Amino acid sequence: MTQKNSIRNYSIAIGLILTWIFFSVATDNFLSARNLSMLFIELAVTATLALGMFLVLLPGQIDLSVGSGVGLIGGIAAVLIFQHQWNAVAAMAVGIAVAVVLWTLMGALITKQRMPAFVITLGGLLIFKGFFWKVIGNETVPVVAGSGDNALSLLTTFYLPPKLGYVLLAVLALLIVINKINARKQRAAYGFQVESGEMSFLKVFITLQVLLLAILIMNQFRGVPLAVLVLGVITYLVYVITSHTPFGRYLYAIGGNHEAAVLSGIPVDKVIIGAYALLGVIVAITGFMQTAYSGASTTTIGNLMELDAIAACVIGGTSLVGGRGNVLGVLIGALIMATLLNGMTLMAVSPETKFIARGAVLALAVWLDVYFSRK
Amino acid sequence: MTQPILEVVGLTKRFGSITALNNVSFDLRAGEVHALCGENGAGKSTLIKCLSGIWPAGSYEGEIKVNGQVAAFHTIRDTEAAGIAVIYQELALVREMTVAENIFLGAEPTNRWGGIDWNKIYTDAHRLLNQYGLHLDPAARVGDLGIGEQQLIEIVKALAKDTKILLLDEPTAALTESEVEVLLNIIRDLRKRGVTCVYISHKLDEVFAISDRITVLRDGTSISTKDAAATSKSDVIQSMVGRKIEDLFPRRSTTPKEILLKVSALSVKDELEDRLKLDNISFEVRAGEVLGIGGLMGAGRTELVMHLFGAFGERAAGEVQMKGKAMPPCTPSTAIACGMMLVSEDRKRFGLVLDKDIGFNQSLASLSSLKNGIFVNQLKEANRNWDLFKALRIKAQGLETIVGTLSGGNQQKVVLAKALMTEPDVIFLDEPTRGIDVGAKLEVYELINQLTAEGKAVVLVSSELPELMGMSDRILVLSSGKIGGEFTSANAQQHLILEAAMAHS
Repeated sequence: MTQKNSIRNYSIAIGLILTWIFFSVATDNFLSARNLSMLFIELAVTATLALGMFLVLLPGQIDLSVGSGVGLIGGIAAVLIFQHQWNAVAAMAVGIAVAVVLWTLMGALITKQRMPAFVITLGGLLIFKGFFWKVIGNETVPVVAGSGDNALSLLTTFYLPPKLGYVLLAVLALLIVINKINARKQRAAYGFQVESGEMSFLKVFITLQVLLLAILIMNQFRGVPLAVLVLGVITYLVYVITSHTPFGRYLYAIGGNHEAAVLSGIPVDKVIIGAYALLGVIVAITGFMQTAYSGASTTTIGNLMELDAIAACVIGGTSLVGGRGNVLGVLIGALIMATLLNGMTLMAVSPETKFIARGAVLALAVWLDVYFSRK
Repeated sequence: MTQPILEVVGLTKRFGSITALNNVSFDLRAGEVHALCGENGAGKSTLIKCLSGIWPAGSYEGEIKVNGQVAAFHTIRDTEAAGIAVIYQELALVREMTVAENIFLGAEPTNRWGGIDWNKIYTDAHRLLNQYGLHLDPAARVGDLGIGEQQLIEIVKALAKDTKILLLDEPTAALTESEVEVLLNIIRDLRKRGVTCVYISHKLDEVFAISDRITVLRDGTSISTKDAAATSKSDVIQSMVGRKIEDLFPRRSTTPKEILLKVSALSVKDELEDRLKLDNISFEVRAGEVLGIGGLMGAGRTELVMHLFGAFGERAAGEVQMKGKAMPPCTPSTAIACGMMLVSEDRKRFGLVLDKDIGFNQSLASLSSLKNGIFVNQLKEANRNWDLFKALRIKAQGLETIVGTLSGGNQQKVVLAKALMTEPDVIFLDEPTRGIDVGAKLEVYELINQLTAEGKAVVLVSSELPELMGMSDRILVLSSGKIGGEFTSANAQQHLILEAAMAHS
């Protein structure tokens, strides 16, 4: 089982490395600090939404409405800030509140009325899009950068000063090392097998190398973007929720065997509604970032983002029937999707070819998954 | 001596470092019924898989000979061509198709235009069903039939392919007594027609009722092959387990104490159909007592315990009291909080998350008591998990072994561990020994003794009369949703229980 998983995980990682090699050869500036910084911001948007999608895929649900939701919530914030001169933080708080209400409502319809998530959220896709266009009045609401107190625009334009970036790196490195040492001690205390010291060292070493490389690259441009920090925080939270809380265990259990979950006394409906509510928060945050990154709230914001999010999860090994998947896989899946889009844009690939390539990569990833699960 | 129709010589099959079959030899005489017995994990299923081409020739050592010729099966089609068919425990029928469509699935007769010859399918199916004495409508939808009838259709489907050797892997696991009887008659009939059968079953009564010879496997080796007439049940059990078993049902009764669960005039409606599934049921269970619940399939046994646990039906009338306090209709989570726990009859469907490890499954129902703020207290969890893992002697590498890879007996132990971790006062065991071997059964019985000695109450639902009579202090027999009779262990007799089970049908 573990062996099977590792083959599978390697195949994703190898796929990622191959895409990177391809784009660095095929384009002149894929590996430039500027482009990679942009790629990290794009990754932050895609991966954040994918992590939210992960929360509802785990218990075997789905959400097709997140793309429209990203547009709607971003639009609400933009209109409040730039047409009604609201404080940006207050506007974003309202956006999050609206999203939580909407997603809780969808979760409640799915569980209490026993309507399939596919149908409810397909309805949501259309309804939210309609409201979105009404909110922005079918116009373009520009996100004005500049003024220092505009927290919305800062999301994708603020960069951590390089020195702070290195401090951050040092703190992260320390935390990772301490965490690994503690985890080894704990596993021994729990009576589980502990991996060899060399293995632990190698894992920590590679993680730190990747972090160092990423921060070095970002510092060569303007520093670590705020959006990447947001992604970091959300990744950590989703990881803790799914791996270390009863709620997270229940998500896996419901997806793995719904009936066994009910008979184990798990409040299945509440857990699923909770997952949708959390997804609502994440949709709102993604909405702010995507709107800020695009520089305006226009009718196309969020288009097809639900499919990128689902694709990132599936490429990362999340099962669409639920019960299987992990946060690291989702991140790598999102990085593959973000890399593809970024690289193809650099190569000036036509939009129609982009669609075909993304679809083909998704199909290939799922085929690999099925192929390796059979082995 | 005539040549055996099928012969297995020195078969060894390894999975990595594990030897599943070790130098197994075994032969089939034409027209006999040959039973294969052994505990779970003894290698019966692996042997069947080698014989049916699922593990292809070359993946094992040794030889399989059909009519004296060495056969190399690579696919299921090869074995079908050699006249061998397998009936698995899990049915492989399409529920949405009719009986006739299922029988000819994959071998549909065609007319001269290449379309399916529907007339031929239905007339042939009708003829085949009649031939084996089955009064079933070929046009009936398979999903509408009982499990037993479906099992029989599966056999007819195999026989439609001109089968000489039929391998039956636990065919009666899900059948009622009367359906078992029909099945055994069909096998007797097949024997007369010269079809050779290999019969795998945990139920030794059936094995002795039907077979000519019995081969016992233990730990991947063939221990003995004997004529059924020349051996006995206790002999076979001893070969299977490898030691002598003094008492199959080692119930140690304790003096019952206070009433824990009291059910008064309970009537329950099915949520979907508007009719009573349970009608005017009253009983009580005391601390330290095993209440057995008997009855035929469909009598409402499972529905009763599921309803009490908050997982079935709508209460039409009556009252349930737990430890003296009235318990309104509830959900499983409140039932667990009130001190009840259920071990369901179908562990794969209702009990386990098969993709997850032992630890995950064991603690799943108890996480609310293992919390540290919003987090799972992993140290406490691991300790509780290890305690039960050791107490129940689960055979696995550790808590991180995936449950789906365990044998039936060990999976059942994981479900029991999950139930015990919630520290219930009343525990419902619905068919706790279904599909597990003699050794594991004994361990479940010992566990029941231990629970009652600790002052807990056990409600034991069982279709196996010897188990019901052997392990219960009192027996409540249900008949078509009503109480058919009540017995104490002193006055319980097989024929009286059966009579009570049919009291209202």
